[in-house]
Amino acid sequence: MKGARVAVKDSIEKTVLNILSKAIDKKLFDVILIPIMVPAGDSYAWVLAQDKSLLDSASSLPPIMSVQGAKALSSVTRMGKTNKKIAALMRPCEIRAVIELSKLSQIELDNIFLISMDCPGVLPLKDWLKDPTKGINSFRKVIQRFVDGDPEPDQSVRPVCTICHRFYDSSAVDLHIGILGKKGEYIFFIPHTTQAETIFAELGLSFKDDISHWQNGVDEVLKQRKKKRSLVQEELKPEVIGLDKLLDTFSNCINCHICQSVCPICYCRQCYFDSDKVKQPPDDYLMRAESKGNISLPPDKILFHLGRMSHMALSCVGCGACEDACPMSIKVAQIFSLIADRSQELFNYIPGESLEEPLPLRVFEEDELHEVETP
Amino acid sequence: MANILKISKNAEEGLRELLRFLLEKKRVKAVFTLRKINENSAVSYSLITDSEMLKDALPLFPLMPQNAGKLLSRLTLKEHLLEPTAAVVRPCELRAFIELVKRKQGSLDNFIFISTTCPGTYPLELSTNGDIWKKLPEYEMCVKEGDIVPDIRPVCQACEHFIPYSADMTIALIGKKDVDKSCEIFLNTEKAEKLIEGMDGELSEGELETKEIKKLHSKRQEKKKELFKEINVESLGLSGLIETFGRCIGCHGCGRVCPICYCVLCDFDSRDYECEPSTYESELKKRGGMRVPPNTVLYQLGRLTHVSVSCVGCGMCTDVCPADIPISTIFLKVGEEVQNLFNYIPGKSVEEAIPLTKYEKEEFAEVED
Repeated sequence: MKGARVAVKDSIEKTVLNILSKAIDKKLFDVILIPIMVPAGDSYAWVLAQDKSLLDSASSLPPIMSVQGAKALSSVTRMGKTNKKIAALMRPCEIRAVIELSKLSQIELDNIFLISMDCPGVLPLKDWLKDPTKGINSFRKVIQRFVDGDPEPDQSVRPVCTICHRFYDSSAVDLHIGILGKKGEYIFFIPHTTQAETIFAELGLSFKDDISHWQNGVDEVLKQRKKKRSLVQEELKPEVIGLDKLLDTFSNCINCHICQSVCPICYCRQCYFDSDKVKQPPDDYLMRAESKGNISLPPDKILFHLGRMSHMALSCVGCGACEDACPMSIKVAQIFSLIADRSQELFNYIPGESLEEPLPLRVFEEDELHEVETP
Repeated sequence: MANILKISKNAEEGLRELLRFLLEKKRVKAVFTLRKINENSAVSYSLITDSEMLKDALPLFPLMPQNAGKLLSRLTLKEHLLEPTAAVVRPCELRAFIELVKRKQGSLDNFIFISTTCPGTYPLELSTNGDIWKKLPEYEMCVKEGDIVPDIRPVCQACEHFIPYSADMTIALIGKKDVDKSCEIFLNTEKAEKLIEGMDGELSEGELETKEIKKLHSKRQEKKKELFKEINVESLGLSGLIETFGRCIGCHGCGRVCPICYCVLCDFDSRDYECEPSTYESELKKRGGMRVPPNTVLYQLGRLTHVSVSCVGCGMCTDVCPADIPISTIFLKVGEEVQNLFNYIPGKSVEEAIPLTKYEKEEFAEVED
């Protein structure tokens, strides 16, 4: 595979933004879907930017993930395909969630051009909000450490970002921008589709350059991340294996369901666990209380988490939106990622990697999983 | 003058004893209160039928994991309680439940409400790492002195409705210097007096509203003025709202934990607010750009419209907001303004209809043409 090596001017983010701006100028896209700083300067919001001037306050690699990009894109095309050519610039985990949502009929990918960039992670929202200006500066350092190939992931990002093993391109993306490998002096525009090549060729990019520096950069970081992921998950296991441990770990959970509402994969308008099905007359609760002497209210906390897990784990992209939003600081993303990895492995399935690969639960293989059959 | 039952134990232990008495004497079938649910001291609301379990009950613990009004509504949504249940709840939680009952989202039948003169509750984040336990001595001291407890929810610091309006029993806490030795239970109803018959304790008479309570009331009023001045809702306007709610991530967590927001599927989560691509396209044509997902400020305004008349200022919304937006302050301010228009105190009396359900011909002439 080849790419286009681009010299970085000013900063990686600005370099990318300039190229996208030119793309709008030349009408190669009608709209860019990109995070733009909000008027108060304390956050970034996804904006469908048709007017080039909006890109002045945009960021191609913002310090935070306020709304998971797949959720934003889903709100645009859930009801039908767009007639505008939209280029969506998102983090790899957001792209993967987009692909999963497309398989779940929640996003129409027609006329959508997906662009991703190597991702150093994002700062937790609450940390960022303590001092947004400081946050911008500290995130610049995070990016620099990342592109320098620092083996130790920056601890200021979301915990699941520090163990992310999918921080590079999914095969399903249209164009990927590799920022690793050249310490931030050069970045690589790597097209995955002929459409990507054609479009960006109009901007003067020629995809003839060797990208092995980038590939090596990715491999180096990946090696370290995989090790760290293993380590962290091994440490986490004793906290969640067995119902007692699970109850303990989630004991602070207040059943607010915010983890579900921010999750890109949880697309149900009304979650089963909020529906009438889980609402019973008082006698039911009383009977349950009598069987053990008491019942916590709201009830069925673990059932909610296990239920959510069984519904979305195969598509979980480990973005960490859930953990970031949890008001009780429960390690939701780390726990769900642990289960997601194991269940995805069972089916050799990597969520968001390929549009063509159907969701495992939609595929019936007669010759499979013999180890769980009754002999 | 009201009847008081005085138990010679600290307030929390005394209350536990009362609950134990009610359960063991089968005066109630179950008790609803806060309980320590594991060794790591996580605290949750519990429906308790076995008096043995009461040893872990923490009825006065300064935490509100969910607004109890919402939980009592969940309990009695499908049907009213068939047997008596004692529920230990904060004044705002009781008010919220009554507002829900008015909306047919629960029933008061067979409940015995036990509340307190409420010193307030700590923000949820203090309980995530156990810090809340370290705050308890300071909490007790401020209760004794009748001071505003520092670090409690901002809306608690500004709360004027800390005396329960319709509880059967009220535990006197605020300004009671002997709260670590004595538990004073005010028996506000005949039902309450009958329930404690035969219980060990001293019966006396007294006034719930002491001068310490009046003093705290003025302190809280001052605090409220300060709090509202910080936000200055009146001067926000649309641009101010956009600034304040700009960082809102649209998780709708505020609505989910709000006791008054009882809708099973919020309109803003429904098909009604999902846009066709043509909507986006016409917005792009008009304005050159559009924030997605849309309706960030609209959700807040919508919720304000629906909730403000019954907002009890419990503060759950601010506590769960991932973007640290002072939602409860804004809702309390707007809520009070709306409620004042109708001389309405939400949850004070179940007989008082929600203003928006009543029509008065002679009203608001000042806004007519």
